[in-house]
Amino acid sequence: MRKYYYIFKANIMSNLQYIFNIMISFINYFILIFIYLNVWQYIYSDPSKLIYHYSVQQMVWYVIITEMLWFATSGRILCQNISNDVRSGNIAYNMNKPYSYIGYVLANHLGEILVSGLLYGTAGLIMGLILLGGIPTLSLAYIPFILIVIIFSVIINTMLITVVGLISFWIEDSSPFYWLYSKLLLVFGVFFPIEFFPKYLQGFLQYSPVYVTIYGPAKLFVDFSYVNLFKIISVQTLYLVIAYLGCQYMYERGVRKLNVNGG
Amino acid sequence: MAKAIKVKNLSKEFKVKIKGKGLKGSLKAIIKPQVKVIKAVQNISFEVEEGEIIAFIGPNGAGKSTTIKMLTGILFPNQGQVSVLGFNPKTERQKLAYQIGTVFGQKEQLWMHLTPYDNFMFFGAIYDLPEKEAESRINELSEVFGLNEFINTPVRNLSLGQRIRCEIVASLIHKPKVLFLDEPTIGLDPVVKENIRVLIKKMNKEFNTTIFLTSHDVGDIEKLCKRVIIIDGGQIVLDDTMENLKYHYLNRKLVEAKMKEKIDINDEPGITVIKDKGYNLKLEVDTNERSIADAIKLLDPDKMIDINISNVPLEEIIREIYQKEGS
Repeated sequence: MRKYYYIFKANIMSNLQYIFNIMISFINYFILIFIYLNVWQYIYSDPSKLIYHYSVQQMVWYVIITEMLWFATSGRILCQNISNDVRSGNIAYNMNKPYSYIGYVLANHLGEILVSGLLYGTAGLIMGLILLGGIPTLSLAYIPFILIVIIFSVIINTMLITVVGLISFWIEDSSPFYWLYSKLLLVFGVFFPIEFFPKYLQGFLQYSPVYVTIYGPAKLFVDFSYVNLFKIISVQTLYLVIAYLGCQYMYERGVRKLNVNGG
Repeated sequence: MAKAIKVKNLSKEFKVKIKGKGLKGSLKAIIKPQVKVIKAVQNISFEVEEGEIIAFIGPNGAGKSTTIKMLTGILFPNQGQVSVLGFNPKTERQKLAYQIGTVFGQKEQLWMHLTPYDNFMFFGAIYDLPEKEAESRINELSEVFGLNEFINTPVRNLSLGQRIRCEIVASLIHKPKVLFLDEPTIGLDPVVKENIRVLIKKMNKEFNTTIFLTSHDVGDIEKLCKRVIIIDGGQIVLDDTMENLKYHYLNRKLVEAKMKEKIDINDEPGITVIKDKGYNLKLEVDTNERSIADAIKLLDPDKMIDINISNVPLEEIIREIYQKEGS
């Protein structure tokens, strides 16, 4: 595990160079949250009103958390890098190092997003407290559980993106698949909670990546219950196993068809 | 002496997509994709002894890097057997990784934003070296490779020569028994090239590291290796000692001169005029028979504006070896 910790650490050290760039990207985040705040306040008109059991305050916090996860853990570059590595044959240079490629990608990406995650987390909380005054139904005792769910969600998201990136072994470019995956999360998880969708879709969404990567952490933040916690962690555990096996399978199959240019 | 590398009847083929010309060709390639088989390495066999520095050379596309990649477990052979330090790179890649080091001149492995020291600690951890052992190894290698001056400067701020030195140190941190160097001096200026060569030699002497070197640069090979394998078109063209190669093939130098005025010059024993365009002359000197000084005298230094002395290109030497083998 020490080697993965070092990969993780090396990436954090590298990314500390980009703190300013991350802070610049806050502008988008702030604008979006401000728009959502106004839209939801307009929709709710009466602050005591509930829509699908969400108050206006919960609704805006939900978006603050999902947008924070969306911005801080974006896997577009990860997918692009894996895809480029596969196409150029650079992925092969990881093969003669004594570590697992999947472990390397995971430690690498987690190191990369830790700095942005902490910055976005802090910015999101400050903004939410200023705009909304407080966090509904959240007690300090829940925070460790929510953090575990967030960590699981980030790991699952990274592995699912890795699976998407590894598709490049079979097709030239995996970016259309990443586009589909990211839009699935955006439309069905980031903008609205799952409860806002028709019943027949909810059944599907409760076992989709949306549930384990975006909805789960945000739902627990705005409406914590041990029943929800247990359900979310159970589905996440299932996803962790499936995503890991998927990564391993894709990688093992993929490298067999690897063509690295000679010199 | 024990063998560090054993290769027997090794072959590797690549399938490359082919596409017709223009839009029609592109559409046809979608409907009926066609592939061409390229034989990158064909039935090669050789052995390398422990502690040997061997040059594995050839022109572009000869199969050098493909062979290195098969020896390090990056590519799987289609046919043949490979054993590196007793490991099969295909099935025991991870175990082998702890015993070998690789430097691919065209592929950086260092983290650009980290200092060489942090990079070396990182590679130490990757190879499961305890922290204290990694630190003492870094001190030892920094001394040998003269890195102390810039060991705490981010890699992105280093010169290419300093970076290559760090790349080599990074691949030596775990005391590999075999080091694969794929074009380590590519893109470096002559002074830095010479430094790197000295260091490679020193490393071989001090740590008895077996070195498998591919290079385009005849200078690298001449100065470092006692044995040379030349590969072309995926096949071994020559496997001989450096001494023999030097005597038979690297004995010739090209002397190109730009003159102030036209001079009359004819072939002499050991000196052949291969180009005479009035003011521009090109001679080939067989250094087994005549010295470079003789050629310069023949050209008349007083009438000379510029002169360039170089080795015969590797491609030409290979062509010559082929012709000799054929006759």
